[in-house]
Amino acid sequence: MASEDARYRQSSQFRLWSFSPAQLAAAREKANILAQSSIAARLASTPNTSAPTSNANTPDRDGTPSLPEFLTPAEEATMVSFYVSELLRAGDHAEVGEVVKATGAAFFRRFYITNSIMTYPPQEMLIVSLFFACKAEGIFPRIGDFVSKFGRDRPDEILAGEYLLCQGIRFAFDVKHPFRALKGASMELRRLGDIEEQRINAAERRAREILNFSPLITDAYFHYTPSQIMLAALSLADRGLAERLISHTFHYVAPPTDSGPGTPMAIGDAPTTRRELKIEDKEAIIGSQIRDKVLGTVEACRDMLAKELPERREHWSNKAVFKAQIQPIRKKLAKCRDPDRYNLVELQRARREQAGNRSDSEEDEPEDNGRSLEKDAAVFGDALPRDTKRRKVVKTEDPFGPPL
Amino acid sequence: MAVSPLIVPPADALHPHPQKTAPSPLKRQTSAVPSSNGTPALVRPPGQDIQTGLSMSLDRVEQMNEQEKRKYIKDRKLGEGTYAIVYLGRSRQDSTQHVAIKKIKKQKEFRDGMAPDAVRELKYLQELHHPNIINLISAFSSKDQNLNLVLEFLPYGDLEALIRDVTHVRYGAADIKAWMGMLSRAIWFCHENRVLHRDIKPNNLLIAADGEVKLADFGLARSFAEPGHRMTANVITRWYRPPELLFGARHYSGAVDIWAVGLVFAELIIRAPFLPAENEVEQISLICKQIGTPTEENWPGVTKLKEYIVPSEVTPVWERSAYMGRFGAVGVDGVDLLVRTLALDPRKRITAHEILEHKWWRMDPKPTRKEDLPRGGGSEEKMGSDLKRRPGLDDESNPRGAKVARKLDFGAAK
Repeated sequence: MASEDARYRQSSQFRLWSFSPAQLAAAREKANILAQSSIAARLASTPNTSAPTSNANTPDRDGTPSLPEFLTPAEEATMVSFYVSELLRAGDHAEVGEVVKATGAAFFRRFYITNSIMTYPPQEMLIVSLFFACKAEGIFPRIGDFVSKFGRDRPDEILAGEYLLCQGIRFAFDVKHPFRALKGASMELRRLGDIEEQRINAAERRAREILNFSPLITDAYFHYTPSQIMLAALSLADRGLAERLISHTFHYVAPPTDSGPGTPMAIGDAPTTRRELKIEDKEAIIGSQIRDKVLGTVEACRDMLAKELPERREHWSNKAVFKAQIQPIRKKLAKCRDPDRYNLVELQRARREQAGNRSDSEEDEPEDNGRSLEKDAAVFGDALPRDTKRRKVVKTEDPFGPPL
Repeated sequence: MAVSPLIVPPADALHPHPQKTAPSPLKRQTSAVPSSNGTPALVRPPGQDIQTGLSMSLDRVEQMNEQEKRKYIKDRKLGEGTYAIVYLGRSRQDSTQHVAIKKIKKQKEFRDGMAPDAVRELKYLQELHHPNIINLISAFSSKDQNLNLVLEFLPYGDLEALIRDVTHVRYGAADIKAWMGMLSRAIWFCHENRVLHRDIKPNNLLIAADGEVKLADFGLARSFAEPGHRMTANVITRWYRPPELLFGARHYSGAVDIWAVGLVFAELIIRAPFLPAENEVEQISLICKQIGTPTEENWPGVTKLKEYIVPSEVTPVWERSAYMGRFGAVGVDGVDLLVRTLALDPRKRITAHEILEHKWWRMDPKPTRKEDLPRGGGSEEKMGSDLKRRPGLDDESNPRGAKVARKLDFGAAK
């Protein structure tokens, strides 16, 4: 309970929002497929809305009703990255702090793991994410002031998405960032006493620049802990300093095993076993094996961040890139988005109406206790694929390693 | 510690090419993606229920929410206040498992979406899991977009009721030690997780069926601020508010909670509020009179605080011996701990961690086992009234009146 690691495992960031790359890809693919089928069904039920040249009664040559071309998971991923870069620019424009921007980016990315970009409008959701990130970080701006910063005069467009976002991020509002870890690292490096101040400052500055962009626009937060992300950014800024810090932390070298009975370690019976355990503990916590593991992990994270160094900000806001890569997907998206869910204000109104119709029977009233259990089983049986996967993983092998 | 990367990553992340399964958004991976660009057939994936033509189907997140909601049955209303309605509920799977469902009301005066109290409470309860902190079991939204928190059910009221009920509830030093131990562990855990509670008082300490005390009501909580960041001084119910906040300090630490812990300690001993003032000016006077006048000598820099005003007649800080008469029931060491929590200068105040290391815990009497602790006539309705309150505010149902002057300036604390 008391160790920092044990507490990290209790955090919602670990419990709900940490995945292996395979799990993450599967979740996104599922969101994409579900969106496709739901939008297809919706379009098929009301012909002539999006495909004026055909209708449901006139099948295509191959015999299926004409449907728009849907986005692929890869195209969705491109769009999510593009909109995260937009979100960061919006954050700069609104002059919110670095933590708020990072939290907003994390909310946005989390939201679009279980939701498709075809289902809910990213342009609105990025403002919603930024707005709610302010609140999650303890700043409570007036919605009218906030939206006016973006030249919008419809606060309801953003407020209508707030609840949606909260559900999508599973009511977990705390995001753990690597910024404070970086401050700690630079203090730690200074304490070593033999590194030039200038070098530390330059590395810290560059690492901070990286942390303000690279982990936010990649999947780093889903795969790595804040301290791993920090070390990867520091390594990109100054590999020598990062490795120094890691080898300084995991410095333990076990005494030679053939030390023989003459060494004080082996004197006495019970103490021996206790000492040996201690050595094992040390080895497990600050030994060379764990050092190599950490180095490997930091290296993998570094590779991920290296694909989106801060210089790539320019790429994402470049007009030519926009025209060549983003615009075609946006055009496609305009044809395949969910007609019921893209207008958040209308969606909220519809949902409230639905709630109103049923409020007498269900809302705030003790529920009918005689509801059949089979129905429950049906609901519970359809557990989230992620959850089942997680359970499986835990059973076979804790992805985060053995207890320390 | 911040750099201790002791957490090893998911196994997959160790593979040299994690991108293999998570395609880089920059590359149009035409072949690697299984679902092709071609016309998708109208195949519904299993488990997907689409009600075309009828009311809009639920998306995946809404389905998850629905599942969460259906795990609980609301039995009956326990109480209703300005901030929330509290229901007694139970688990659908295990009807012996009772829960409290706190439905946050939409607040008319707050037009900017989800209200700050709800955001804070949910944020911190999601993260803090500890035997002495009220357990958030789940959260879901109801159809009218109200937020519902499913909390562990704590049927035995709160410490305030216990303290007040002098006719029915008797308790002694060992019981006080047990309660203080639980409160101290709760606040240590908050601070260890960089969370300031900012509303510690006896009626936010609820009592579980097994006697365990649980810190509740995180509607005013916040994370420790980054150095230089300003926070509002208008927190913590007045009687428990430390001098630095009364003097308008905008930079403060966990020490604000510790002062409140000290006043709960004092109240447990004398069974009455130790410093019950009618307003903030009187609150400062009471502190000066009962504890000592904050001056540059005992608190360097205090006169620089924006709202520093003290009565002209300076009272020297009272020695430990002066407390023995009124608070001697907890012994010399107990009094020592009390005095350390009530240090005027927040930098000299004992920390939560140091409280847990204090020698009082190791002295006789030993703390009472939690199942043997005295209980009040707590009732289900009591939890209703405890939870429905607006954080930091007492409403009409509480006879202690509006002793809190709390108006948070949400815009200013940038």
